[in-house]
Amino acid sequence: MLLNRETSGGRWRIRPDGTGKVTGKLAYLTDLSLPNMLIGRVLRSPHPHAYIRRIDVSKALAMPGVHAALTAKDVPGLNRFGIARPDYPVFCEDRVRFIGDAVAAVGAETAELAELALAAIEVEYEPLPVVDDPERAILDDAPLLYPEGNVFHRNEFKFGDIEAGFAAAAHIVEETYSTPRQMHTYMETEGGLFVPGEDGRLTAYSPTQHGFMDRMQLSRILAKPEAEIRVVSSPIGGSFGGKDELNVQPYGALLALATGRPVKLHNSRWESVRAGLKRHPMKIRMKTGVDADGRLVAHRAYVVADKGPYSTLGAEVLNFATEHVVGPYRYGAVDVDTVSAYTNNGMSGEFRGFGGNQAIFALEGQLDRLAALLGMDPWELRRRNLRQAEDPGPLGQPISVTGGAGQVWESLAGSALWGRRSDPALRSSSTAPWLLCGIGSAYVMHGAGLGVGIPDPAGGRLELRADGKIEAAFGYEEFGQGLIASLTQMLVEMFGFAERDIVVTIGDTDVVPDSGSTTASRATSMMWQSLRRMRGPFGGKLLEAASVALGKPADALALGEGGIRAAENGRLLMNYASLAASLAASSAQPIRTQTRFSYPTSPVDRVGAHYMYSYAAVAVEVEVNTLTGRVRVTDQYHAVAAGPVINPQGYLGQIEGGSSMALGFALTEDAVMDGGHYVTKNLDTYLVPTIVEQSGGVTVDAIEELPEGDEHGPRGIGELGSVGLAPAIAEAVYQATGKRVSKLPIDPALLQERFRFD
Amino acid sequence: MAYPHGELLRSPSVWQPVSAEEAWRLKREIGTGASFVAGGTLLRTQWEAGLAPYPAHMIDLTGVAELSGCGPVDEEDGGWRIGAITTLAQCRSHAGLFAAYPLIMEAARTIAAPAVRNLATIGGNALSRTGDMATALLALDSELLWQNDAGTVLEPLSDWLDRERAGLSGAPGLLIAILLPAACRMPITPNARRRCAFHKVGRREAFIPPVVNVALNVELDGDGAVADIRISAGGGTMIPARLAAAEALVRGRLPDAALLEELHAVVMGEYAPMPDPLVGEDYRRMTAANLAAAALWQASGAGGRGPGEGEKPCC
Repeated sequence: MLLNRETSGGRWRIRPDGTGKVTGKLAYLTDLSLPNMLIGRVLRSPHPHAYIRRIDVSKALAMPGVHAALTAKDVPGLNRFGIARPDYPVFCEDRVRFIGDAVAAVGAETAELAELALAAIEVEYEPLPVVDDPERAILDDAPLLYPEGNVFHRNEFKFGDIEAGFAAAAHIVEETYSTPRQMHTYMETEGGLFVPGEDGRLTAYSPTQHGFMDRMQLSRILAKPEAEIRVVSSPIGGSFGGKDELNVQPYGALLALATGRPVKLHNSRWESVRAGLKRHPMKIRMKTGVDADGRLVAHRAYVVADKGPYSTLGAEVLNFATEHVVGPYRYGAVDVDTVSAYTNNGMSGEFRGFGGNQAIFALEGQLDRLAALLGMDPWELRRRNLRQAEDPGPLGQPISVTGGAGQVWESLAGSALWGRRSDPALRSSSTAPWLLCGIGSAYVMHGAGLGVGIPDPAGGRLELRADGKIEAAFGYEEFGQGLIASLTQMLVEMFGFAERDIVVTIGDTDVVPDSGSTTASRATSMMWQSLRRMRGPFGGKLLEAASVALGKPADALALGEGGIRAAENGRLLMNYASLAASLAASSAQPIRTQTRFSYPTSPVDRVGAHYMYSYAAVAVEVEVNTLTGRVRVTDQYHAVAAGPVINPQGYLGQIEGGSSMALGFALTEDAVMDGGHYVTKNLDTYLVPTIVEQSGGVTVDAIEELPEGDEHGPRGIGELGSVGLAPAIAEAVYQATGKRVSKLPIDPALLQERFRFD
Repeated sequence: MAYPHGELLRSPSVWQPVSAEEAWRLKREIGTGASFVAGGTLLRTQWEAGLAPYPAHMIDLTGVAELSGCGPVDEEDGGWRIGAITTLAQCRSHAGLFAAYPLIMEAARTIAAPAVRNLATIGGNALSRTGDMATALLALDSELLWQNDAGTVLEPLSDWLDRERAGLSGAPGLLIAILLPAACRMPITPNARRRCAFHKVGRREAFIPPVVNVALNVELDGDGAVADIRISAGGGTMIPARLAAAEALVRGRLPDAALLEELHAVVMGEYAPMPDPLVGEDYRRMTAANLAAAALWQASGAGGRGPGEGEKPCC
C-alpha cells in the first residue's frame, strides 16, 4: 500500500505530543530550571593524546560563586562508564585520549562564572603522538593508546572455498569504500538538570535511550544504591543513538551531590561536536565475483572501523557490519574479516543503522559494478542472488520467515520511478546541457533487536488508575520518533479505548517497568508484543470487574470508547472512572497487568546474530550539475516490508527522516578531523541537509503482509530508512555521469567537468 | 554578590544613536571597545567562535534614519540608493529594486535562511567582504557612502575592496548607503538586451556561505556582440573581485563557442581563491570558469535555465 495521508484514512491521527512540539510549548528536560540551581561545565582536553602531569583546581575553587571543582579523585565509585564495557573515564586520571576527554568539572552560580572557573583550572599535559588513522593504528610500529595494543575488536565470518570461487568467476570487482564520520545532530544537545533531594535521593532529568541503564551506571559511579537514583528521561529532542551512552549525567550527578544544589548542564553545539558520539567511519575493501549467469560465487570483505579511544558499542557495531556486509544475498563462498581500531580521533558510537549503513553502501556498490560488467540490469542481478524466504540469515542463522525480500524487490521493479529509467526525457535539456539525470536503486536487509548473547528484555504494564484512566507504562523513550503516538494508536485499535481514556507513562525510572532500551528498531515491536500478551488478561480483568459491578455476565460486555459497553449494541454501560470507583468501594485489588519477556533471538551461538529482519528497496533519481559537480536528489521511492503499519504517520516519518539522514551521509555530512582535532566544529561547516536538499518527492510503499501464523507482528523500521538511499544515489550518479562513487560524502570535484561550448 | 570578575561578567552597554553623525562620533569616542550592530547575525557567530571579542559597547544602528530606505536617488539620475540597514529580506522582496537591479534580489535569495535574512542587512553582508552581496554589487559598479570625520564620503566599492585586498584594512567610516548607478539599471523596454545572472555554489544547497559565486552583467548589441560587460567573482575567504581580463577578452566580440572556450581559460587563470581546508582550489577555479562562461553562453543564447539551479527569473 502506498502510504500517505489519503490511503491511511481514519488511521491518520494527530500526535498526542504534536501540538506542544510545533508550538514550542513543550518543555524539554534541558528547558528545566530551578531557582537555586548551579551551572555545570566540563573542562575537556585540548590535546588528542597526552599524559596529564598535574591538575590544580584550587584557583577555580577559590572564586566566589564557584561551588565545586571536581576531578577524578572526587568520584566516589567507578570512574568509568559505558553500556557494553565501562572503560570511558568520567574524569581522566593520568592520560587523555581524545579532545572530548574530561579532566574536571565545575559548578558555579552563572554560566559566565563557570566559564571563568574552567579557565582558572591548571592542567599540565605532556603531549603524546597522535594516532589518527585506524589502518595505521593497527600496524606494528604505531604508537599505542593502550598497552594491549590498538586493536579494539575483531570479527570474522567465512564459509566455502573462497579462492576456488574467485577462480571460477566470470567477473570480479575489487573496490575500497569509505564512509564519513556522521554526527547525529539532534536539535537538542546533551544536557539535563540534576537535583539532590532532601531524602538523599538524586533525580537526573536528562535524556537517554534507556533510563534504567543510566540509573545502573550512575549508581556505579556515585557508589549510591540504584533505589536512591531516579532518572527522568523523556521527552527528548532527538537522539538517533547519540544519547544512549551517558554524556553529561555523571558530571551533573557528581556536582549536585558535591554541592547539595541542583545543577544544570547543557552542551553548546561546539561542545556537543567535540565530545559527542559519531557514526564509526569505515573503510571497506571488497572483492566479489560472479559467474556468467550473475550468480555470486565469492565475496570477500575487509572492514576497518575508526573506534576513537573507548569502547561505547563499537564491538556491537562492528559485529553488525560483519553480518551486513554479507547481507541479503546467497554466495558460493564468503570470507569476511573486520577490525575496529582505537584512535585519538573523535568518539565513535552507535548511530541509527548501527554499522549497516556503511556495510550496505559497500555491498550494493559491488552489485552495481558487477551488473555493469555483466551487462545486466542491476535489479535483475539482485533477484538472481536474493536469499529466499526459507533461507537462513547472513550468518547462516535461523531467522523469522517473511516474504519481505521478494516483496520489496517486486514493488521497486514495478514502481513508476524505476520505470522512468528508459525515458529519453531523462537526458539533459538543450538549455542546460550540464544537468545530467540518473536513476539508481539499492536493496536493504536490516536486523533489529540487540542480537544473540546480549540481554534484550522487554515488557510493560497496564493499569486502571483510580481516576479511571487506562495507564500504559513502558520504559521506553520519546525522542521524536512518535512512540507515544504509536502506543496510543495500538491501545485504541487493540483494546477499543478512546484516546482520552489513555495515559501514557514513560521515561521515569521511579514509575515505569524496565522494557529494555529504545534502540535497535525494537520499541514498537516490543510494545506490540507486550500489548498482545496483556490484552487477554487485562481486558478480562476489566470485564470481570465490570461484570460484578453491573451484575451482567462478562461475555455480554465489551471494552470500548469511554468505558464498558454492551457487547451486542455498543451502548455505554459504565465509564472507566465508575469502574475504578466501584473497585475502590469494594476494596478489590486494582486492575493491573504486567508482562516481561525478551526480544526473540536466533537459536545460534553467535553473538549479535539477528532473528528479525526488515527489508527495503530504494530507488532514487538524481540530477548532477557537471558545472559544479553537485548532486540533487529529485525523487525517491521506498518499498518497505516490515509487517503491519502501527502508526502511518510514524512509519512515514521514520522512512522519510531516515532517508534524510542517508541523504546527508551521501552528500553533505562529514565531521572532518585533522590530527585528532575537529575541522568542522559547528553547524556552519558540519552540514546537515536543509529543506532544499529534501525538496524532491518521497513515495513509500508499505508492505504489511506476513506469512500466516506469524507471531512477531510489526518489524522494526526505525533504522531501515537510513540505510539504502546512499548506495542508490551512488548508482544514480553513475547512471548520470558514468563515474563511480566509492567515498562518501560525494566530492563534487569528482563529478565536475570542464564545460565545452561546441 | 560582588564578583571580582565584574567587568567581564557585565552585559554590554547599548547605545542608540539617531543619526549617522552621532553613531560615528560614539564609535570614535568609545574606540575599539565599541561595535556597530545592525542585524548582528554575522557578529554573533564571530563572538561565539571567538573570532571577534564580545564588545563592551554596542552601537545599535537600527534607529539611524539615514541608514534605511531603498529607492531611486531622484527622478533625473535614474540610479538607486539602498540604505545600509535594509534587510536582505527587503532586498529579496522589493518589487522596484527587482525590476531595476535584479542581481540584488538574485544574490539576496541565496544568502543564509529566511530567519537570518529578516535581520541581516545588505550593508553588513557587503562589508563582511566574503558574503554574496559584494560580488553582486561589484557587477553593478556600486558605490559606498561612508560617514566619517570629514562628513560623508563616496567611493567605488571596488576601491574599498582593493584596499582590503592590499591589507589596508578597516572601514573608513560608518556605511550609510549603497549607491547603484543608472548605467547598470535594467532597461525598461522589453526588447532590451541587458542580461544578468548570479550563481552561487556552496557545500550545501542553502544556508551556506559561497564556495564560489559569480555575477554577470552584460549588454549585447544588435548583432549579439558584447557591448558592455561586468563579471565579478568571489567565494570562500577571498575578497570578491571583478574579472578584468575576462571582461576585456569578450568586450566587443561575439560570444561564440571559440570565444567562450577562451573565456573559460582566462577565468581559470584570473580567478584567485584563497586556501580552504574543505574545498580544493582546482575545483573552485573550474567552478568559477564553468559558471562564468556558461552564464555568458546562456545570456547570449536562448536563455532558460541557469547554470546553478532552478529558474533564474532575472535572465
